[in-house]
Amino acid sequence: MRAYILRRLAQSVLVVWAVTTIMFFMFRVMPADPTALLLERGLTEEARQALLEEWGLTGTLWDQYVAYLGNILTGDFGSSFLYRKPVWEVLTPLIINTLWIAVPGLLIGAALGAAIGTAVGWAKRGGKLERTGIFMATVIRGVPNFVIGIALLTVFSSTLGWFPGFGMGDPGETTGFARYMTLDFLHHLALPLIAVIIYFMPENLLLMRSGVVENRTEDYIELVRAKGVPQRRVAWHAARNSMLPLITWLFPALAETIAGIVVIEIVFSWPGVGRELVLAVTRQDYPVAQAAFFLLAVMIVLANLAADLVYGKLDPRVVYK
Amino acid sequence: MNKAQTPAESAEIRGRSPWRAAWDSLRLVMQDSFAVVGVVILVLFILIALAAPSLAPFDPFKAMMTDTGRLARLRPPSGDYLLGTTAFGNDVLSQFLHGFRVALLVGLVAAIAVGFISTVFGVLSGYFGGWVDDVLMRITDVALSIPTLPFSIVAVALLGPSIENIILVITVLFWRNGARIIRSAVLTERERVYVKWARAAGASHLHIILRHILPNIVRVIFLWVTMSVAFAILTEASLSFLGLGDPTVISWGQMLNTAFSSGNLRTAWWWVVPPSLALVMLISALYLIGRAYEEQTNPRLRRR
Repeated sequence: MRAYILRRLAQSVLVVWAVTTIMFFMFRVMPADPTALLLERGLTEEARQALLEEWGLTGTLWDQYVAYLGNILTGDFGSSFLYRKPVWEVLTPLIINTLWIAVPGLLIGAALGAAIGTAVGWAKRGGKLERTGIFMATVIRGVPNFVIGIALLTVFSSTLGWFPGFGMGDPGETTGFARYMTLDFLHHLALPLIAVIIYFMPENLLLMRSGVVENRTEDYIELVRAKGVPQRRVAWHAARNSMLPLITWLFPALAETIAGIVVIEIVFSWPGVGRELVLAVTRQDYPVAQAAFFLLAVMIVLANLAADLVYGKLDPRVVYK
Repeated sequence: MNKAQTPAESAEIRGRSPWRAAWDSLRLVMQDSFAVVGVVILVLFILIALAAPSLAPFDPFKAMMTDTGRLARLRPPSGDYLLGTTAFGNDVLSQFLHGFRVALLVGLVAAIAVGFISTVFGVLSGYFGGWVDDVLMRITDVALSIPTLPFSIVAVALLGPSIENIILVITVLFWRNGARIIRSAVLTERERVYVKWARAAGASHLHIILRHILPNIVRVIFLWVTMSVAFAILTEASLSFLGLGDPTVISWGQMLNTAFSSGNLRTAWWWVVPPSLALVMLISALYLIGRAYEEQTNPRLRRR
């Protein structure tokens, strides 16, 4: 077990290294001449040189690469071209904003999906409930998240005017955590959160349903039923065992949510990491884009690692090699 | 179900044709009524895409003028413009019809590229193992840790927003899961008794791959290709919606992006609803077909 964890850790480090290398080449090599894109015209030669040095763009490609790896190891992603401050100062508040819609959205989506999925999985095979459930879930799963966003925005914000559809609201005087505890913030949070829930529920539902269908014909269910346990409790037995794939799915899903939420953040102008990534790319603010991308990649690596380890804890049948 | 598993010796060695297996699998999927709905929508969309240039009443990029020589902007649906006009005076119906071509082109290329690359890599690494397998597994380990949408955003922005680049990025992204899934399917097939028999009877590797392995994993390949097509269309639509689409073609994501960024979501429903609805229908149709393949590949899900 310990050997396995160590090996998985080493593997994760290797993957992060590979991703950072790909990132380096994507950002440095692909635009024909980064300095032409990065630097404002009309700079004196010295100022230009100083800026290049500050952003680690001097020397051969190899020197740049080594310097870049060193910077990442020490957690230094440089300064934003646009905001003129360290990238971390730009991104840290945005990470929190993204988590505000990602984590509750995913948890509520997973819980709702699991509940409905159990009902659909336990329903009569080929019956009305099963067929409607599967059909609806598959169709909703096929709705692109920006279409969900646009629909919510048009109906509940522009037409009915129940919710604001733009940003996070005015923080006013409140700072720190109190900022997130205001009614105004929660009011702004509602629509993007609902969008994330609708986006993630169907996949959960279908996953849970498959699990319950697979489990309901197992011998242990027959045994529970034979003991005269009421239907509802029997369904719970099957549901509990079907949660295993769901829980391991949650970790990578969280990482993918944070990545996929980009579009929802754009629709609702929610100031998160994903929106900043899109803005940074279009503004050619490469240090920010690079750090945001790195952040998302590391989250996925960690999530996969966590999923593998948790799965082994939950399912005694898993053998580590 | 599986001819190769009947005890007739000669059939064991001859295996069956992968085409025949593909056809059988397709027929089995068509017994699922949801999949039939999906196939009908898909065929309808393909027909519209093929006929789009002759169906479209106007050039999608042409700005419409009124009789008094002013830009016909944001006209609601009427006899002149069946689906109204955009804020820039373009005919929505013409743009909408051209969107079918982009979506299906992206889907088709993704299907061929992903289907072919994933199958070749998956079969090679699953069947032969060894260093090919090691290299493939390390590559997919890395590839699976790349967040898909952020990667596409960065790559398309750096390479330049064109439909070729979008297709390239989609291909680079989506072959990886396919290769892994097909590999594990091949791994199970390789250990089957009939493969060993065929081998013992002197069948070549190529023969075994084509007539024993492929026919049995054809369902897995179909499942993955269907899902890849849906993901590819979704990725193109998302990128276009984020403003990273090819400016020289019209896609549904782009129409929505223009409507959104020009602030006309609420008023110009005729501009927003058709592309949204078409995307939902197309992607759902693919998911419905994919779901039927999923039930087919997982015997525990079948009705008993």
